[in-house]
Amino acid sequence: MKDEDTIAAPATPPGRGGIGILRVSGPDAVEVTEKVIRPTKRPFPPRHATLADFLDPQDGRVLDKVLVTYFRRPHSYTGEDVVEISCHGSPVILGYLLQCCVAAGARVAEPGEFTLRAFLNGRMDLSQAEAVRDLIESQTLYQARVAALQLGGSLAARLKPCRQSLLELMAVLEAGIDFGEDDVPVMDWEDIQRKLDAVHKDLAILAESYRFGRIVREGLALALVGRPNVGKSSVFNRLLNMERAIVTPIPGTTRDLISETASLGGLPVRLLDTAGIRTPQDEVEKIGIERTHQAIADADLRLLVLDASEEWHSQDSELLRQTAGLGRMVIVANKTDLPVRIARAAINEAVESIHSEAFAETPIVYASAKTGEGFVELKERIMAALTPSHAGTAEGEWLTNARHQQIIHRSLEAVQRAKHATQQRLPHEMILLDLYEALRRLSELTGETNVENILDVIFSKFCIGK
Amino acid sequence: MGSSFTEKHDVVVVGAGHAGCEAAMAAARMGLKTALATINLDLICQMSCNPAVGGIAKGHLVREVDALGGVMGEVIDATGIQFRLLNSSRGPAVWSPRAQADKKAYRIRMRQVLESEPNLRIKQAEVVDLVLESGGASHRPRVLGVRLRDGRAVEAGAVVITTGTFLNGLIHCGEQTYAAGRSGEPPSLMLGEALRRLGFEVGRLKTGTPPRLDARTIDFSQFQVQPGDPIPTPFSFRTRAITQPQTVCWITSTNSETHRILRQNLYRSPLYSGQIQSRGPRYCPSIEDKVVKFADKLRHQIFLEPEGLDTNEIYVNGMSTSMPIDVQIAMVKSIPGLENAEMIRPGYAIEYDMVQPTELTPWLETKKIQNLFLAGQINGTTGYEEAACQGIMAGINAALRVQNREPLVIDRSQGYTGILIDDLVSKGVDEPYRMFTSRAEFRLRLRIDNADERLTPLAYHAGTIRQKDYEAFLEKQKRISVATKFLLETHLEPGSRVGREIYAKLGLIRGGELLAPAALTGAQLLRRPEMNVEDLTAWINEALAAQGLSPLGGPDGGLFAREEARRLETDFKYEGYLQQQERQVERMKRAEARRIPDGFDYHKISGLSREVVEKFTKVRPLTLGQAARIPGVTPAAVSLVNIYIEILQRRAAMGAE
Repeated sequence: MKDEDTIAAPATPPGRGGIGILRVSGPDAVEVTEKVIRPTKRPFPPRHATLADFLDPQDGRVLDKVLVTYFRRPHSYTGEDVVEISCHGSPVILGYLLQCCVAAGARVAEPGEFTLRAFLNGRMDLSQAEAVRDLIESQTLYQARVAALQLGGSLAARLKPCRQSLLELMAVLEAGIDFGEDDVPVMDWEDIQRKLDAVHKDLAILAESYRFGRIVREGLALALVGRPNVGKSSVFNRLLNMERAIVTPIPGTTRDLISETASLGGLPVRLLDTAGIRTPQDEVEKIGIERTHQAIADADLRLLVLDASEEWHSQDSELLRQTAGLGRMVIVANKTDLPVRIARAAINEAVESIHSEAFAETPIVYASAKTGEGFVELKERIMAALTPSHAGTAEGEWLTNARHQQIIHRSLEAVQRAKHATQQRLPHEMILLDLYEALRRLSELTGETNVENILDVIFSKFCIGK
Repeated sequence: MGSSFTEKHDVVVVGAGHAGCEAAMAAARMGLKTALATINLDLICQMSCNPAVGGIAKGHLVREVDALGGVMGEVIDATGIQFRLLNSSRGPAVWSPRAQADKKAYRIRMRQVLESEPNLRIKQAEVVDLVLESGGASHRPRVLGVRLRDGRAVEAGAVVITTGTFLNGLIHCGEQTYAAGRSGEPPSLMLGEALRRLGFEVGRLKTGTPPRLDARTIDFSQFQVQPGDPIPTPFSFRTRAITQPQTVCWITSTNSETHRILRQNLYRSPLYSGQIQSRGPRYCPSIEDKVVKFADKLRHQIFLEPEGLDTNEIYVNGMSTSMPIDVQIAMVKSIPGLENAEMIRPGYAIEYDMVQPTELTPWLETKKIQNLFLAGQINGTTGYEEAACQGIMAGINAALRVQNREPLVIDRSQGYTGILIDDLVSKGVDEPYRMFTSRAEFRLRLRIDNADERLTPLAYHAGTIRQKDYEAFLEKQKRISVATKFLLETHLEPGSRVGREIYAKLGLIRGGELLAPAALTGAQLLRRPEMNVEDLTAWINEALAAQGLSPLGGPDGGLFAREEARRLETDFKYEGYLQQQERQVERMKRAEARRIPDGFDYHKISGLSREVVEKFTKVRPLTLGQAARIPGVTPAAVSLVNIYIEILQRRAAMGAE
């Protein structure tokens, strides 16, 4: 059971409105908060909102002005010490705040966990117990769903080789300990170090790929995609609120990749206007197009721009297909100032024909770069797409992502400690203590392993036994 | 009913192997009238397989049995003929003692120990059935005694069954099979039938043993000699000296000719012909298994181990087999040095009945029948040490039951014994279960040097520890705590004799001047990787003497001086890791504190899958922690159980108002 550790999660649905609340509950709630927030008053007076700064732990920069409210136990929702932090900024900031709380020692709450704690701590009466039960039941279903998704999902697939090499390293070390009398190969220190380095590198890349922190620090990379002359540059300029790219009605005018930084919902945004994709006419254009493909793939989010005043084009289908596997996207049907010729149904149909699950919930926004119509919605859609939200649940898929990050991060820390121990030539069972921790974390994502698992590897790899 | 009993005991133990002897001794030491029934009392604690005690993780178990008041440690210390501390190049948590036993001396010594216990009676008799008080619909039946083969019935407050491989034992040697408990002894058929009839879930396992050779026909000059340690590490905290003459073992290996013989005759192996269906241990494969499964391995290690000081019998460790005898002879002779070797006994495989241990509570009582306890190989384990630790726990708990006291359960953070039993009763077994250090999630704290600290107070409370032994234990604890305090608080003076030596060794003295800003405490010194506690032992002993305490290792110094010193060192050197482990222990304890009420009905929890309900219902975990350890149970399922417990408790509280 996880009672008595400190948990954190957004208490408001993500991607909506200007204020998001992060709730931290548990014995270290105040301690965690103080590592992330610089309050104007200390200690936090209970049940008063205190103004404070949310600092980026990376560089100490103030990211947001927040309101902190402390509820001392047992007078709180969960019956434990609770701190609620309200931020003004975007859901991305809220996500980053959660990430920072995790780094400060909290754990991302499981869906329904605040309510479960409230119940177990006697903050709810029996009549409400059914509701708690339903919540946990749905959690069972949720876990099943997440497990099913992850089973075929890219994260589990990415983790698998890393987890496997960790498991094999552990099996070799364990075999050396438990079967030291048998004829098992002993791995030398350099070899252990090499194996740990490889695992560490793998996990570090994964941890780094997590979006919130990077977006807050480096800005969001937004790529505009579309066939020539659908008005990508106009959309780009409207988002930037400045005339920068050359806008002409001649197809292929925007040859180069144009990058510009704007601010969207308080976040820096790097807009990448891409060369219109078409069969290259010359070498210069060919290079431009290759660079375009790379930029589209690397972006945090893709805007597929259509010309709403024209019929659905086969090239649109082609772009849709090319972009489908790359990650999240928003479809912009531009030029609504002209008579609209593409029906939402037609776009939906095209999207559905791609048969990509991640792609199925792609938002479609009708807008006009010329008049600005639809751009408020577009900005909201962009922000929402960065914080995955489902049916408005506060503890939905977002948490899954935050949990992934947390788990990989904790795993990485454990591997780091093991590396350190290896450098110091500490006994293998000490190194293994941290490796078990690393493996246990990864297994939370892949849903497997126990000791038998390691023994299985040992018995399949080595001839053990007298 | 009781009128038909011819004898009456508080506790009856069935089987006098490594489990049975510990069970009987524990119950007797707790003051209960105890009877130990065995088919052949000349073969008490016979070592059916390897003539050795201990080994990695197994040595830990023996220390724990000893700390719990058991006898295995003392007996092997008195009869061991080669002692080695395994894994001594690694960290202190995985050091583990092993000793070759003089097999005959071991069983004679064990019998003497049993006979010297006033409350214990040894009986040669075959137990064939249990006498039960018929349970009503409302409560489980209770065992009242046992029925013997000759028709007599013996009354018992509690019964402990430790049948080893004897339950429906079937030996395979090549194409030949015959019923036996082990080579040369009859099996126990009727008791096996009785247990099936009572509705226990019975499984079947397999194990094997290698051939024994005549030392006079072996050319030992062909082998590498494996000597024992110059300073033996004893198993019992009470042992002051190892006085038995010591001997050596020898190491050799199989070769391509051995492997050819095996491959050519594989079709005659009961393992491969389909004659044996049950599962054997993966970590103790037969030689034919090794050759098949690791075909690219050109040689497999073989250890030649004497079975005693006054016998020519040599145990061929590493060559467990159920091949026909002619193949066994050919394969032995293929090894240089064994060309002329004569076989004294052939190797064989044996299949036997076990009771699925999910039938048991964590104190080893059956869930179906009250006051009936099972221990040892019958619960699906393998190994003398695994048997012994269950034996002592079953004996203690049988006695506690008769005394109407609370059961004793050792948790996973307290000992390998607890891990072993928790694994058995929570997970069940599908292959013979052996202990490994990797099964311990809190390995760093479960060391041989602190088994007494972990378990002796519990055992003393139960009543298996004699007063003088307990006082010796308390005195050791006093030494350790005084020495720890001393090392933490006292700075080693650079001017002292020990100080000059140490600071010079560390390179901290130049020209008679201390280079470090200040003198270091003992603890600070020990945290430095280049420091050994041996350098400080004299200094520590001076401090102990100043407080009127014996030096490390006790009044006579002796065998434990080194171990006690290293125990101190471990606490400082690996402080960070030990603390990390303590935090994990705290987490586990919280989950263990949440108890699941007796008879909790899992079917009433909507949202649990049928599979999970079945698992919970079968194992009937006592705590949420145990529930979470059942394979295939999700955290959400455990949360659901938690909620229902809370709902039930609140309803009960409301009802009470």
